[in-house]
Amino acid sequence: MTSTPVQATGIDRVRGWILGRHADRTELADDVNIIDTRLVDSLSFVELIYTIEEASGTEIDFDSIDIEDFQSLDTIRKAFFA
Amino acid sequence: MTATSNGARTMPAVSYTAQWMAAARALETERDDALYRDPLARDLAEPDGFRLIDRYHGGGLLPFISIRTRYLDDAIGTVLDAGTVKQVVLLAAGMDARAFRLDWPDGVTVYEVDHGPLITEKRRRLDALGAVPRADRREVSADLTGEWLPDLERAGFDRDRPTLWVVEALTFFLTEPQVGGLLELLASASAPGSTLAFDILGRALLRSPFSRPFLETLAADGTPWIFGSDDPEPFVAAHGWRVTDLREPGEPGAGEGRWPYEVQPRGRRGANRLWLIRAEVDR
Repeated sequence: MTSTPVQATGIDRVRGWILGRHADRTELADDVNIIDTRLVDSLSFVELIYTIEEASGTEIDFDSIDIEDFQSLDTIRKAFFA
Repeated sequence: MTATSNGARTMPAVSYTAQWMAAARALETERDDALYRDPLARDLAEPDGFRLIDRYHGGGLLPFISIRTRYLDDAIGTVLDAGTVKQVVLLAAGMDARAFRLDWPDGVTVYEVDHGPLITEKRRRLDALGAVPRADRREVSADLTGEWLPDLERAGFDRDRPTLWVVEALTFFLTEPQVGGLLELLASASAPGSTLAFDILGRALLRSPFSRPFLETLAADGTPWIFGSDDPEPFVAAHGWRVTDLREPGEPGAGEGRWPYEVQPRGRRGANRLWLIRAEVDR
């Protein structure tokens, strides 16, 4: 893992948001598919996007969202915290 | 178009979703913290409703259906308590059992409009259950894609008296021009003091890539979800109605405490909207 502490903090905030929505889970590995497992669903994805925006300091364009960027913490990190 | 596996009785695909809605109401009814109770729903959901619950597992769908049902129940109560409206039209009523489960004031007539095969099948089931309506309930078999107001008037509907129209879970099956035309048609048959209670989905929600698998399943089953708006007041106003109450799930009076998502402020970019609306005819 080569990410800087700042980047780790960002993705950990995303992880923390997902875990906060699922009281039955205490950990979330970086490679778990969060859509297939329904950890994020069609209504909560927008909250995921807001969380990523706040954690990364960037604005995400809703009209050009690539769902592949949101499959797991790994893909989110590559797309928004690299 | 037919879509049930019950070969002896086939119903069009939108009726197929009526069973799905009934199954959702049955599941709500069986909760300890149910927002309403519909004891007939389980029988009205057969044979496909519960299978469809599994097939259409979109995020938030079940709580939304329950919150919407309760919101419209409350809207009916609020409007009828005022005492001036005595005729209620449940448009595309599906397997709605409100005529059997709500406390209706004296003198209220409830019209359930849907297409013939559904009305026939619903009657058969309700008769078998010995269900007794709690209002003057009138079935109106009509083709909602054609001229259906004359059918409603033949059943006793009086356009010169104020009406409460309940249009639940219908607008998203239509195109935007069709929804606009429907609102205008209802307005044209609405005496002053008439109210429309209904729901509109958000446009962003229907365009979201995260909704796509769910929406593709619906489309493949012949019931695509089409119309949505992220700014419903101007749309409603442009078609003859003035919004008097607008809520989203999770707000007070709209399932506060039951909605598993954050309520986003109006205007927040990209938010998923689900609008619950009461409007008065603008005349």
